[in-house]
Amino acid sequence: MAKKRKKATRASRKTGGRKSVPVGRARAQRVLEVPLAAPDLLPALDILRDPSQSVDARLEALQTIQAASFALLDFDSIRPDYIAALRQAAEDQEPELRQRALGILAREHDGFAQEALLEGLRDPAKALVRPDKALQLLSYDPHAGVYPIARDIIHTSEDESTRREALRVLAGDPASAPVIEDVLTDKSEPSAIRRMSASALHALNPDKLQRWASSAVLDTDEDADLVATGLTALTQFGDAKAIADNKQLRKRMSQLQQQGPAKIKQLARRFVKKYEL
Amino acid sequence: MQAEIQINNSTTPAARYLTWAPSPCRVRITNPAGSPAVQLRVRLGTRTNTGGGSVAFAAQAGGPYASTLTVTVPVNGQSVSFFVRGVFGKPSSGDRDVIIEARARSAPSSGNWRLLGTLPVMVRIRKNANNLTSGERTRLVAAFAQLNDQGLGRFADFREMHVNQSSPEAHGRPAFLPWHRAYLLDLERELQAVDPSVALPYWRFDQPAPSLFTPDYLGVSDALGNVQLSATNPLQFWRTDNVPGIVRRPFFDPGQAPAGLRTEAQTLALGAQYTGFRTLEGNPHGSAHTSFGGFISSIGTAARDPLFFLLHCNVDRLWAKWQLQNNRFDSGVAASYDTNNPGNKTGHNLVDTMWPWNGITTGDRPPFAPGGALASSACVNAPGPQPRVQDCFDYRGSVAAVAQMGFDYDDVG
Ligand SMILES: [Cu+2]
Repeated sequence: MAKKRKKATRASRKTGGRKSVPVGRARAQRVLEVPLAAPDLLPALDILRDPSQSVDARLEALQTIQAASFALLDFDSIRPDYIAALRQAAEDQEPELRQRALGILAREHDGFAQEALLEGLRDPAKALVRPDKALQLLSYDPHAGVYPIARDIIHTSEDESTRREALRVLAGDPASAPVIEDVLTDKSEPSAIRRMSASALHALNPDKLQRWASSAVLDTDEDADLVATGLTALTQFGDAKAIADNKQLRKRMSQLQQQGPAKIKQLARRFVKKYEL
Repeated sequence: MQAEIQINNSTTPAARYLTWAPSPCRVRITNPAGSPAVQLRVRLGTRTNTGGGSVAFAAQAGGPYASTLTVTVPVNGQSVSFFVRGVFGKPSSGDRDVIIEARARSAPSSGNWRLLGTLPVMVRIRKNANNLTSGERTRLVAAFAQLNDQGLGRFADFREMHVNQSSPEAHGRPAFLPWHRAYLLDLERELQAVDPSVALPYWRFDQPAPSLFTPDYLGVSDALGNVQLSATNPLQFWRTDNVPGIVRRPFFDPGQAPAGLRTEAQTLALGAQYTGFRTLEGNPHGSAHTSFGGFISSIGTAARDPLFFLLHCNVDRLWAKWQLQNNRFDSGVAASYDTNNPGNKTGHNLVDTMWPWNGITTGDRPPFAPGGALASSACVNAPGPQPRVQDCFDYRGSVAAVAQMGFDYDDVG
C-alpha cells in the first residue's frame, strides 16, 4: 500500500497535481448519457476501475456514476462497489482521479479516505494529494485528529494556501480561537490569510470579530481589503445599538463616505444607510 | 378625498408583490370630503421609476388587462375589487419601482384627474442569474449571508433538509420536482423575510454565465476549488457544518457552459408525459451537479453551496416551461405526473404530504424534520404550511386561482 502511494505522489509532483483541469471541452457537443437504472452503471464502473483506460474516459465514467447518484432510486444497490472503486481510485497514479475520488469519499465521511489524508499530512512521502487539498477534504468532517496537525501547520508551513486551509479547518475548533485571532491581528500576515481568519473568527466568536472590525475600520494604516472585510462584517452582522453608541466609528464612517477607494466609499454608504446614521 | 389601494386584498406592505398571475386587489374611499357625488369614477394607473416594472389592470381576473382601469367606487367606504398583474417581459428590478395611483376628476366634467392615493408595488420575478443588475446581486448575496448568519441562521434548516438520509423523500422518484419546488419556495420566502425585493434567480446551466461566477456575486473558484469572494461580499462569512467558505471546482471553463448537459430544448423534448420528462433528474440535473467538484457534486453536501439553489431554480423553471408547453398544470391529468409508479413510496403520491414540512418522523420518513412548516406568504395562500405533492403543480393558478404560489419566471409567460 505504502509503495503504491509513494508512486502516486511522484506522479502528482510530475504533473503538478494541483492544476484545475477543465476536462471534456472536446466533448462539448455530446450529451452524456446518465443511465436510469443502477445495473446500467456497471460498464461505467468497469471503466473507472480499469487503469488501461484513458484518464479522460475514467473521469467521464466517474462523473456519470456520480450524476446518477442524484437520480437513481436503486443507486444503493451499487453503492458498495462504487465506494470500493473510489477507494481504489484514491490511490491511482492519476492525480486528478485521486483527487476526485478522495473528494467524493471525504464528502461521505469515509473513514478510509480520512485516514489516508491524515497519514499524508503526517508523512508527506505517503501523501495522495497536496497538503492544502488534504486539509480541505478533511474539513468535510473535521474532528480532533486533524486539529493538532492544522495548528502545527499554521506555525510551521510557509505555503499560503496550506495555511489558509489549516485555518479553515480550525474554524470548527473553539480551542483554536486564540491562534486564529493572533493571525488576524498580525499585519505581517498576507491579506488572504487574515481574511480567512476573519471568517473563522466570525464563526467561533462573533463578538470578538465585531470588535476587531471596528478597530480595523478606525485604523488608518490597515490594509484596504481588511478594512472592507471589517466594514462588511459590521454592516451585515453588527449590533445596531453598539454601533449607534460608538461615536468614533460613526465619525469615521462619514469620513470614509467622502474619501478613499470607491469600494470603501460604497460600503460606508451601505453601512450608514443600514443603521440610519 | 382620499382612497386606499389594497394589493392581494391586504394592507400589509409584505403583500405588495406581483407576478404574471392576477392578484386580487381592492380600492375604497377613506375620506369622502369634497366629493361631488355618492359615488366616484376612480381611474387606476401607474407611474414607474426608471427601469421599473410594468403592471396591468382588469375588472375581472380573466381580463381584459390594460394600463389603466376606471371603476365606480361608492364614497361610503365600501371596497371595489379589481385585478392587477405584471406585464410579461417587464419585471421590476427594485423594490416598489411601480407606483399604482388612484385618481378622480376634480369636478364632474373636469379634465384634471386629482390624485386620491398611491401604492408602490413590485413585479417580483425569478430571473436569469447571469442578467441581474448589480443592485439585484447585492441584495441577493446579502439576503443569503443574513439567512446563513454564521451557519446558525435559518439557513441551517435548509442545509439539513437536503442530506443523504432524506434523499429518498426528494430524489429518484416522481416527487423530485414537486419536492424541490416547495423547498425552493420555502427558501425564497425566508430570503424575502430578510429582503422582500429578492426573488431567487436561476442558473441556466446550458448557457455561459460569466457574470455569475465573479467575486462580487457567487465567487470565482481558485485552483484548489475554494470560492474566492471580494472583501465587500458578505458571503465571505458563509459557514456551513462549522466550516467557513464554499468548495466548488468547475470542470469546465466558467466563461462557458458545462459540457455534456442536455440543453433546454433537448430537455423540453423529453416528451409530453411526466414519466419521460422526469428523466431530466439524471441529465441535465445530475450532470449539472457533477460538472463541479466540491459541495455541489454530492447530495449530502450540495445544499452547502448557494449555487445549488440557483441550479435547482433552473430545474424548476424547466418543469414550469414544460408544464406550459404541454398544459400540465393540472395534477389530475394523468400525463402531468407519474401517478401509478410502483416505486411511489409515501411522499411521492399526489395526495401525500411532503417531508419535512409535515413534521412526520416515523414510518419510512427520516427520523428528523428540520425547519417546521413551509414559510407563509402575505401575497398568496398556496401551497400551505404542509404541502401535498399535488399542491405544487398549479403554481400560477391557471387551474384554480387559489393555487397560486406567488412566484414566476421571466421567460415563462
Ligand atoms: Cu439537485
